[in-house]
Amino acid sequence: MTMGLYIFALFFGLGLGILLAVGRHYGGPVISRISTAYIEFMRGTPLLAQILAITVLPKAINEILVAQGMSPIDITWRIIFPDIIGTPRTILNTTILLCALTLGLNSGAYQAEFFRGSMGSISAGQTLAAQSIGMTRRQEIRYIALPQSLRRAIPAWSNEAVYLPKYTTVAYFVGVADLFSMAKFVVSRTFLGLQVYALVAIIFLVLISAISWIINHVYERVKIPGT
Amino acid sequence: MTKVIEVIDVWKAYDKLEVLKGISFDVSEGEVKVVFGPSGSGKSTLLRVINMLTPPDKGEVLLRGESLMAHKAELSKLRTRIGFVFQNFNLFAHLKAIDNVSIGPRLVLGKTKEEAQEIAHKALEKVRMADWSHHYPAQLSGGQQQRVGIARSIAMNPDVILFDEPTSALDPELIGEVLQVMLDIAKEGTTMIVVTHEMGFARAVSSEMIFMDEGVIVETGTPKHFFENPQSKRAIDFLHKLEVLYGKAEADKQLV
Repeated sequence: MTMGLYIFALFFGLGLGILLAVGRHYGGPVISRISTAYIEFMRGTPLLAQILAITVLPKAINEILVAQGMSPIDITWRIIFPDIIGTPRTILNTTILLCALTLGLNSGAYQAEFFRGSMGSISAGQTLAAQSIGMTRRQEIRYIALPQSLRRAIPAWSNEAVYLPKYTTVAYFVGVADLFSMAKFVVSRTFLGLQVYALVAIIFLVLISAISWIINHVYERVKIPGT
Repeated sequence: MTKVIEVIDVWKAYDKLEVLKGISFDVSEGEVKVVFGPSGSGKSTLLRVINMLTPPDKGEVLLRGESLMAHKAELSKLRTRIGFVFQNFNLFAHLKAIDNVSIGPRLVLGKTKEEAQEIAHKALEKVRMADWSHHYPAQLSGGQQQRVGIARSIAMNPDVILFDEPTSALDPELIGEVLQVMLDIAKEGTTMIVVTHEMGFARAVSSEMIFMDEGVIVETGTPKHFFENPQSKRAIDFLHKLEVLYGKAEADKQLV
């Protein structure tokens, strides 16, 4: 569950972050302000509050719908993974989906700032050169600015990539069965607090070391030769 | 001869600083104009005004009779017909030499990948960089990068190429290879406007030299006119300073 939340949030946030960064850095006054407002709002409010607010949203909406005499939206759906070894487990329901989305929406704001930083570091001369051979603004961003700034952002961006797995533990607060809530559950049964939490720590450490290694590897692979 | 570029009474100010104060001149097919003058005289601004990287406050620029200021939407189209070679090369750092050259024909002129590669290869051959086509800019010397920059312009098959002090950022021993390439393409009949202090180059190929100071054209004339009989005091002083700096003999024997 932790991995699922993580991977979804990271890549959803990546796409969103690139869009936001492009909007903030290259957009006109309106788009740039909207992006900025979004980024500052998401970074300026606690992630836990965002998750709590978003996950109670369906219930709140349904109450309004019912009060208006309309039929509520079904929020009891779930996808169950047929577990081969033990009991079947829910792998997706409304809360998990919203939780993952919120993590992604939040992460996107942070990722956007990493990308914006690297966009600012691309020399103005290359922009002029792109214009001088007749490229449109769109082509220049797509083919000249982004390929360079995304590469440059990787080391800074790895910060977010290794932070995010740990952030996913807030899912515990809204009752999503992630690694942390599993641990809590085991502890409540066995009272082996130290051992279980140490194991959780080790799992995170291994996971994050692996992520770190992969990102470094990717960075070396895509690095522009000679720079 | 048909006029490729007409600059008509162009004015440009940055805040209160007047950089261009009513510049007018024409460039005809196959002509090489050399613009020179002290730093801060507005030479680079003038070049940028010509392809609208810096739009002027007043005046007009015509490319084969078509105004660059009237149809704003078509600006990127018109710019494809004006090459620009930068002082600092400004190559696209993430692309190999060949891709730096082919990206224009492919994206802007709509050629297929194969056609664009073919065009790029020819352009790189012309600047004697074909052997380096798979190197990235950071793996090339300044002179090599500038030659790729020139190839990038040539590949678009422009009506005119603007050179903004193309050798000023280069180590002395690398200047020659770039000037040689510029001489080659000038002799092929490429229309060029060159901002440079390389008087040897000016003497060898320029059809007219334009001396600018403080945002105005002070004096124009053939290289012969400037080297033998300049009229204005400012031009005389400036040429004298160049002589002191580079040595007259040096300027005379170079590239002739």
